[in-house]
This record gives sequence, C-alpha cells and structure tokens, in this order.
Amino acid sequence: MNDVIVVEDLRRDYISTVGILKKSKKRVEALKGLSFSVKSGEVFGLLGPNGAGKTTTIKILTTLLIPTSGNAMVLGHKTFGEERLLRPKINFIFGGERSLYWRLSALDNLKYFSDLYQIEPKVQRERIPMLLKMVGLEERQHHKVETFSKGMKQRLQIARGLINDPEILFLDEPTIGLDPSGAIELRNIVKKLSNEGKTILLTTHYMQEADEMCDRIGIIAKGQLVGLGTPKALKASCGKDTLEEVYLDLVGAQYES
Amino acid sequence: MKVSTEHKAENKICDSLDVLNCVNGIGKDTKSIQGAKVKNAYGPHIRIILSSALLQMKQSFGRSMFKFCMLAYPLFYGFTLYMLYKEHSSTDIMAYVMLGSAVSSLWGTISFSSAGDINRERFMGALEVIFNAPSKFYYVMLGKVLGNTVLGIGSMVISILFISLLSGSAFQVIHVGPFIGVTLLGVVSFVAVGMMLSGLLAISRSTTILMNIMDYPIMILCGIAFPIHILPIWTLPFSYMLSPTHFLALARMCVGGIYSKDAFYHHLIWLMGLTILYVLLSLFAYRMIDINARKDATLGVV
Repeated sequence: MNDVIVVEDLRRDYISTVGILKKSKKRVEALKGLSFSVKSGEVFGLLGPNGAGKTTTIKILTTLLIPTSGNAMVLGHKTFGEERLLRPKINFIFGGERSLYWRLSALDNLKYFSDLYQIEPKVQRERIPMLLKMVGLEERQHHKVETFSKGMKQRLQIARGLINDPEILFLDEPTIGLDPSGAIELRNIVKKLSNEGKTILLTTHYMQEADEMCDRIGIIAKGQLVGLGTPKALKASCGKDTLEEVYLDLVGAQYES
Repeated sequence: MKVSTEHKAENKICDSLDVLNCVNGIGKDTKSIQGAKVKNAYGPHIRIILSSALLQMKQSFGRSMFKFCMLAYPLFYGFTLYMLYKEHSSTDIMAYVMLGSAVSSLWGTISFSSAGDINRERFMGALEVIFNAPSKFYYVMLGKVLGNTVLGIGSMVISILFISLLSGSAFQVIHVGPFIGVTLLGVVSFVAVGMMLSGLLAISRSTTILMNIMDYPIMILCGIAFPIHILPIWTLPFSYMLSPTHFLALARMCVGGIYSKDAFYHHLIWLMGLTILYVLLSLFAYRMIDINARKDATLGVV
C-alpha cells in the first residue's frame, strides 16, 4: 500500500495578541516537527489531549491552514500550493453540530454542498438519496436541521463529508457528545467506509473507539509525536493492557518532561 | 442491553451497505464528469452563484432579525423621514423620503448584511467548509450577496409603496430610462461594496467593529435624508468616496428632472469610477484571503 498522507517535520505557530492597552504578541507553537504517514485504505487515529495539535494537523492536511514550516503531502499534492488539485479529492467533518445550515432541510444542505463540489445534477439526483438512506435520514430529509438531534446532525455531517465521494475523509472528534447508540451508529458507518477502501484520518478522545476502529494510531502531545503504531504494538511496547494506559503513560511522560 | 443496541445499529448499517456500494460506483461517474467539465467551464460557476443566492434567500428568510430588517425597518425609517418632511413639497418627499429610505434599505441589505453574513458563516462553522470546496470562494460569496440583492430590491419596493400610501403621492420618475440604468449601476456598486467588506471580514475579524461603527456615519455622509452640502466642507471628500452619494444624486435628478447634464455626468462618472474601484478592491481582498485567512487562521472560531 502506498502512502497517501505524508507529514514531515511539520511546524505551525499561532501568533495572538494579548493585553488591552499595552498589547504584545504571543507566539504559540502548536506543532513542533510532527512526522508520520498514512497508507491508502488505512484508518489512522490521532490521539492527544486538548491543545496537543490534532485539529491543527487536520486543518493543515485539509488545506485550511498554512504550515509555518515542514512538508504536508496528501494524495501526492502539497496542501499549500496545490490545493486546487487536492480539494475535490478530500473532505472533512469536524465534530459537534456545526458546519451545516440549520435553517435549511437536510436535503437542501446536501444539494448545496453538492453544487459547491461541482457535482453534476444527474449524479446528485442519485447520490443524495443514497447518502440520506445510508445515514438513516431518508424520512427526515425535508425537515429543517435545527429540529434534528445531535446524533442526526452528526450523521448528516457524514453524508455531507461523502458528497464528493472523497478518497480521504478527515474526521475531527466525530463522536463527540453523542450518546452510546449514536456513537455506535457513527463508528459503524466509519468501519463500512473503511471496508469500501476509503482512507480515514480521525481524531478522538475515546480510547476504546480508537482501539476498535484504527489500524494505526499516532499519539501527540505538546505538538510532538510521542507514540506511533498499531494499537497492539503500542500496548506491547509500553507493556500495558489497554490503550488508555498507553496514552496516559506516553502523554504523561511528555508533560512531565 | 449493550449487545442489543450494537446489534440494532449494526443491522441498520448493514442495510445501507448496498447504498455504499452504489455511492462508490457513482464516484467513477464523477471522474468522467470532471473531464467533461472542461468543455463548459462557466456552467459550474453559474450554478454555484445561483445555488448560493437561493440558499442565502432561504437562510435569510429563516432569520427573524432579517425579516425585521427587510420588512419592518423600511416602514419605521420611512415613517420617521416622512414626519420630518411632511410639510415639504411632494418633490422633496420623493427625493428624500422615498429615495432616502429606499436606498437606505437597499444599502443595508446588500452591503452590510452581506458583509455580516461571512461572520454568521464563520460561527456556524460553514465558512471552512465552503472555503475548502473546489468552487471559487469569490463565486460562492457573490451568490450570497446577489441573494441579498434580490431581497434588498424587495425591501426597496416596500419602502416606496409604503411612503406612497402614507403621503398620498405616487412615485413618479421623469427620466425613466436613465433611472433604470442608474439603479442597475447603483446595485452593482452596492454588491461590490458587500463583496469588498465580506472579503475584508474573512481576512480580519476586527472589520466587524469598523463596519458597525461606520454604518450610521455612512448614511449621513451619503446624504440619504438631506443634501450633503449642508454638512461641513471637510466631510465632502468622504462623501464623494461613497457610491450611495452619487447614486442618490443621480436618482434624484432622474426623479425631479435633469436640469444640468454636466452635474448628471459628473456624478455618473464618479459612480462608475467608484464601482470599478470597489470591484477591484473586492477582487484584491479575495485574492488575499487565500493566503492570509489560512495564515492567520481566521476562517473558524476558536
């Protein structure tokens, strides 16, 4: 299998202004030389505490942010400079209930996003009902999104993320805030997508979820990679029984240093 | 219990396995369509503009605040202006009350609402999604501004009809042809302002503060409710740099009569020049977005 995502020595700084009268600029290093790769068809999980740099990594890979330095290649394209070639082939879903037009129906949302991805009306007419069926929202397609439960909104997001039939799907905490059955439904959709050959890069705080879904896992803390491998290999290398223990061990060591 | 929940969810997903197969099958069609797209390069852009305009109208009508701004605000504003001018001639009522409240509604809906929409998109989390889509961000936002334009024209018509009923005098235009031309040019100019402001807002969130501070001063500087020559002389350069000033001057001439062709062409050239300048600035702002918004991470909210 070839590498479809290659990240080499990736760095990203944020500059924020602090103070009201006497303003000063503060530089925060979100990523400090991150390197990893993801193979085609793999489900790759990025784990780490809040502020570790997971979302920043996903945003760089989806062309939403420019890296300060380093190299980020997705499907052979640079994420900065070749975004026009890359964007039609990828999609992303950020956790929570955002990224949708709540005052519009599920159908209107999907139609609009299909237009944005320049999908021909003929293809739209076939694909949208299929996606709605896949995420179990066929019956509610004409209802406004604001009337949906959190789980329904998350599933609609999955449908939106698949609207352009992406080769790689980026999921940032896709099950955040979902009840157990909603989370299971969503995890099953991800598994099926993986079985169909889609490459998936996801971030999560739920270790059980990562253990169950991911082929390989990268653990990041303070913007640096502290662990990389299959869940089984990570557990073996740390001599732990659960991924949670591995996580606490590796992340804890990084914060102590 | 846990097992049964998982089983139920699994069954539901298994039902959709066929769907997934179909979805992947269709993906192959997409690739061939992408090839065909080259033959009709403008088709997708027009579809994006129309689709964004339609979405914008649906979204706006779903918001109570927008409905108030579009339907109720022109009535309140028109009524207030009418009370100020009710002892004046019908020409003044047409020039300052009807045109003033009509232009104020149009300006507010097209330029300021459009610029504010980018902030709404940002807080909804949709800005990152539309920015990341393969369609040009400029066309997406242009569609949204045009959607507001349609609603703004509706608001303008409501203003004129309301004041006509209130004052008992019909809206009469002496020079109909030039009035239509000037109105079209004015709308284009307002659309360009909306695009320019929305572009600046995508780059910097601080533009919101500036925009809100400037809303009423702009109304005053443009002479919406009174002639600009009653303002201090030092404000004139600012008035001249705003297209509504010239649009109003031209529209008032079309309504009341063009007594000086020189004055008419003077304002027409200013309006055209400013419109071109705004279009160029909006194109520049959107060119900057691609780098600056991704460098400064201004597309989302933290």
